[in-house]
Amino acid sequence: MNNLSFLSDRKSLALALGLLMMVTVPWWAGNQYQLHMAALICVYWILISGLNLVIGYTGQLSIGHVGLLSIGAYAFAILAGKMGWHPALALVVAGALGGACGLALGLPSLRLPGFYFAMTTMAFALIVNELVLAEVDLTGGGIGLPGPAFPAPLDSPVGFYYLAATLALLVTWLSWNIVRRIWGLGLMAIRDNPVAAQAVGVPLFRVKLMVFVFSGITAGVAGAMFASLQSYITPDTFIFELSLFFFVCIVIGGRGSIVGPFIGTVVLTMMPELVAPLAKLGHFFYGLLLLLVVLVVPEGLGRVFELLHERFWPRPVHNDAITPDLKRLARAIKDQA
Amino acid sequence: MNQSLILPVVSGISNPLCSTESVLAERKSSLEAVNISKDFDGVSALSDVSLSLQPGQVHGLIGPNGSGKTTLLNLLSGYYQPTTGSILHGGLELALSSVQRRAEIGVARTFQKPRLLPTLTVLENAMLGAWSHKQSGFLATAFAFPQVAREDKQLREQATELLHGMGLGYAIGRPANLLGHAEQRFLEITRGLLMKPRFILLDEPAGGLTEHEIEHLGSVIRTLRDAGIGILLVEHHTDFVFRICDRVTTLNVGKMIKRGTPDETRFDPEVIRVYLGA
Amino acid sequence: MLTVLISGLAIGMLYASAALVYNVMYSTSKVLSVTSGHLAMLGGVFGAWFVNTLQLPWGLGLLGGIAVGALFGWLTEVLAIRRVLNRGEDHLWLLSTLALATMVQQGVALWWGTEPRPFPRLFEQNFSSGVLDQKFWLPIGMTVLMAIGLELFYRRTMYGKLFMAMSEDAFAARARGVPTDRIRVMSYVLAGGLGGLAGFAAGQLTFAYFALGLTLTLNGFIALAVGGLGSNLGALIGGTALGLLSAFASYWFGGEYQQTFAVGLLMVVLLVKPAGLYGSLKVRQV
Repeated sequence: MNNLSFLSDRKSLALALGLLMMVTVPWWAGNQYQLHMAALICVYWILISGLNLVIGYTGQLSIGHVGLLSIGAYAFAILAGKMGWHPALALVVAGALGGACGLALGLPSLRLPGFYFAMTTMAFALIVNELVLAEVDLTGGGIGLPGPAFPAPLDSPVGFYYLAATLALLVTWLSWNIVRRIWGLGLMAIRDNPVAAQAVGVPLFRVKLMVFVFSGITAGVAGAMFASLQSYITPDTFIFELSLFFFVCIVIGGRGSIVGPFIGTVVLTMMPELVAPLAKLGHFFYGLLLLLVVLVVPEGLGRVFELLHERFWPRPVHNDAITPDLKRLARAIKDQA
Repeated sequence: MNQSLILPVVSGISNPLCSTESVLAERKSSLEAVNISKDFDGVSALSDVSLSLQPGQVHGLIGPNGSGKTTLLNLLSGYYQPTTGSILHGGLELALSSVQRRAEIGVARTFQKPRLLPTLTVLENAMLGAWSHKQSGFLATAFAFPQVAREDKQLREQATELLHGMGLGYAIGRPANLLGHAEQRFLEITRGLLMKPRFILLDEPAGGLTEHEIEHLGSVIRTLRDAGIGILLVEHHTDFVFRICDRVTTLNVGKMIKRGTPDETRFDPEVIRVYLGA
Repeated sequence: MLTVLISGLAIGMLYASAALVYNVMYSTSKVLSVTSGHLAMLGGVFGAWFVNTLQLPWGLGLLGGIAVGALFGWLTEVLAIRRVLNRGEDHLWLLSTLALATMVQQGVALWWGTEPRPFPRLFEQNFSSGVLDQKFWLPIGMTVLMAIGLELFYRRTMYGKLFMAMSEDAFAARARGVPTDRIRVMSYVLAGGLGGLAGFAAGQLTFAYFALGLTLTLNGFIALAVGGLGSNLGALIGGTALGLLSAFASYWFGGEYQQTFAVGLLMVVLLVKPAGLYGSLKVRQV
């Protein structure tokens, strides 16, 4: 939401370029593995863009979304695999189930203060894993389940990539629509000043719940796609630290932004691949990164760019006096009614 | 909103002093605190206070620190529930209604310390006020139904006009955390206006303003009054209050000690004793 | 059956001690630190390392465990709390303590391994002692001692009273000349030491295991929420309730649903009385 028009043009250009890159990935991705990475980024992004509305815009610190991912993945694996449903139908049901579980989790927990809420979401993630391990008949317990592929031509790596990219773009479009209208303002009001949000009539709990359910649906869909992409899922895949990974992607990218967390997702997914020693450090590294960001640039790296921008292209600040135009004011009030 | 203005005027013409019609009509459109008492953990903040806020009227609320002014404002806007007594709008009990419900009904308020969203622009902060009467739901917005863009455009235009009217046109694209004190206060009032309010409750809006800015505030308040909005002005700048208010209520340690016109209040011995000084 | 009761009580007391640690940290900083459970984990892991690996006598191992806990408590304050509290942005401390907790848990996993490793026997005792086994009575006794110690500390010592003053109104305390920053550091060091001590005492019950950190953070929080934030008695009761519930649920329904039952208890309490048994959530907004 920026009024400097020359920047908007640059942004549109960057966006177009990014889209072009996304669409042509299968051509410039070096090998199958990199294509797999690209698909994984898209799948993660499906979850993270929904979660971004919860954490980055509404300010609810949910650290349990790996549980919803797991539910979506297992639902897909069970319905499309064991029960032989069409994968597309299983995908839709996985999303719906994710939303329903988001509702069940959000109803009791969204009224709680910040730490209580975070702990409840964490407990949810741990419970989901516990139940998955326990219900061996349904989920294969510790052994896990195979994740079925989609029918041709979506079963090839290129085909699957396009499916993932399409869904990722769809979810991005949905969340972008929300944040750029008054709904986005309402969400950020809940995050930054709930008293002000109340004062203008925002129903805090109901909005938080709506956004949370939306994030549940995207997590469920992401879970289904994840199961298909990895072709095999076990409870070990859905550890709590994966939730932390999602969380860090958003916090690093910066709150109140869609591009920031997307870049965060791309960078953090690829980092262990590009910088081998980091892979060994694993989740220790994400913890360290989170700590550094919180201590140095809590608004996220997006803010770093803003600060740099201010330095080289400082915005001129006029200290004008306030001179009301009473006639205009009266007319504007009348026109409202 | 314009409808509710017609009735008292008409009945006033036929019978200028206290006809039942005009009283009823007044009641219908007013925001009232009736015999309000409020306790906090056994400490009494307000004791049997009544106040009637009429549309198209500026009502001042003054008193020394701790007299319960902000408490009364919080009760009217819904942040507290009264221990005893009623809050009425158009004769209907509001005391159990949420803050959000009161926003929907048309009760807007500003805060002693302006509550703005620092990372958003002036325009965006103002637009937030239109939340309670937006038509676009979550799904419609997500799927970019055409009405959403239309509503957004209309809202931007309205907000822009109001901001220019308030004198903040030069700062429309500025992030709110770069605003000066007076600008913040005027912005909060603008946000309140976008709520299409029947009433605006102002919590010490002149605090920290220069003389010049207070004059502008006064002219803005008069414009709002002439547009038919009922304004409650909680203030310490008593000269300002007496200049622009139609009625003044004075509180002291939670009790009402004077209710009347500015002149009646200004020269009341009790008010002078506890608040205005020699 | 009696074993179930005693083991439930013992693990419950460990949860209670984590809740006590939360309380001590909260009293001076109004922060609920995610690292609370990890302090006990460190006490257990380092205790095992000192005694089993380095072959030190268990007394030194105990002191070592406490020291490591205190050190990590201090680190928590310096890294995750101090700078963050000054920023004024709400809940940044949740992120910073979460980050630190993750770092220490994963760090221990990298160093100590991901398998639970044995914790040394402290006193000569037959392994078939049943309900009288020290692995039960050490954590129970230690936690009760800790709770009593804290009460005496708060009521009888100067520093304890300063803690309470800060907890009531930190701003007023500072205005009266209380060195609130230093007191806060002290409270984190104290909490760390207590956590390390509790972890060491419960080591034979839990084994030296890196994953204990997060589990204890969560279960300690459940004990805290049930008993009420800020109440040490509530911590004891909440912990006991949770421990007994987990033990009996495992006994009747199998151990696979432990976490589910624990969270079930939490949810019921939070829905019925969000402030817990002895706590109070006072929020003044406007």
